[in-house]
Amino acid sequence: MTDVSDAGLRRRVTDLPPAVAELIDEATVQEIAEQAWLALVGEDEVLVPLPAPLPAETLSSWVEIVGPWTGWVALTCGRDTALDLTRALLGEHAPEEVEQEDVHDALGELANVVGGNVKAVLPGPSVLGLPEVGTTPPSGREADSVRVALLWRGSPLTVRVQSVLAERENEVSL
Amino acid sequence: MTVRALVIDDSRAMRRIVSGTLEGFGYETRQAGHGQEALDVLHGGWVPELCTIDWNMPVMDGLQFVNAVRANPAWRPVTLMMVTSESEHGQIVRALAAGAHEYVIKPFTADAIRDKLALLGLLPQEVSL
Repeated sequence: MTDVSDAGLRRRVTDLPPAVAELIDEATVQEIAEQAWLALVGEDEVLVPLPAPLPAETLSSWVEIVGPWTGWVALTCGRDTALDLTRALLGEHAPEEVEQEDVHDALGELANVVGGNVKAVLPGPSVLGLPEVGTTPPSGREADSVRVALLWRGSPLTVRVQSVLAERENEVSL
Repeated sequence: MTVRALVIDDSRAMRRIVSGTLEGFGYETRQAGHGQEALDVLHGGWVPELCTIDWNMPVMDGLQFVNAVRANPAWRPVTLMMVTSESEHGQIVRALAAGAHEYVIKPFTADAIRDKLALLGLLPQEVSL
């Protein structure tokens, strides 16, 4: 005889979206970031996979991805690093005085490029949001994320792919 | 002969990078921050040989812009090249089906842009030699 309630529970558990770590690994995230840096920041601009503490004052940019996998991809670095990144990205086109708007724009575009390529690895089709910039990205459980810590010109930055799993948490609690 | 390009991207940094790359190839460029702003440039009479188009933009996105350009027979000669971080196969197919001629995925190199322009016959001769 079939235990209906048990079958239902199994179905719910089976239907849970896979954890983000099952969909994309740290090496892939790092490779995507490296490609973005080489093409946008500069041909000699390498990212070194070494964890280091972020400074107290940070700036983050992130893009949301909505689809079979929903979440966001964020870059976080120190404010001084963000300014240096902006100058490097703009290169000879950088204005003499880099304004905050330029920094937000450049960091947002880096998140957009990294996020777009992360999206291509994750299950689709999905929609990529416009980049947002702030002191911290939206909140999310560390366990539902893939996080890569890198050094650029000796300064720390992180790339984080964060699942948004409200339904998963609700269903597990049943 | 100078080739003209309209660079359409909501990122000011990316507009500068793409414009700088094209100007390095001998292009005259103008910039627009979204599709509607780009349409305003075309309606104003500055109709370039090439438009480079980001996909995700506020107000009017890149796909809407491609559809709007292709709906106007007077703009048929304009070559449309998507330059975007949207790299899903389905999105590429949608853009090409709507009338885009080429698709460049960010991050790109100047060489990648040059190769695409050469394929399109839009590389000024002194650069292609």
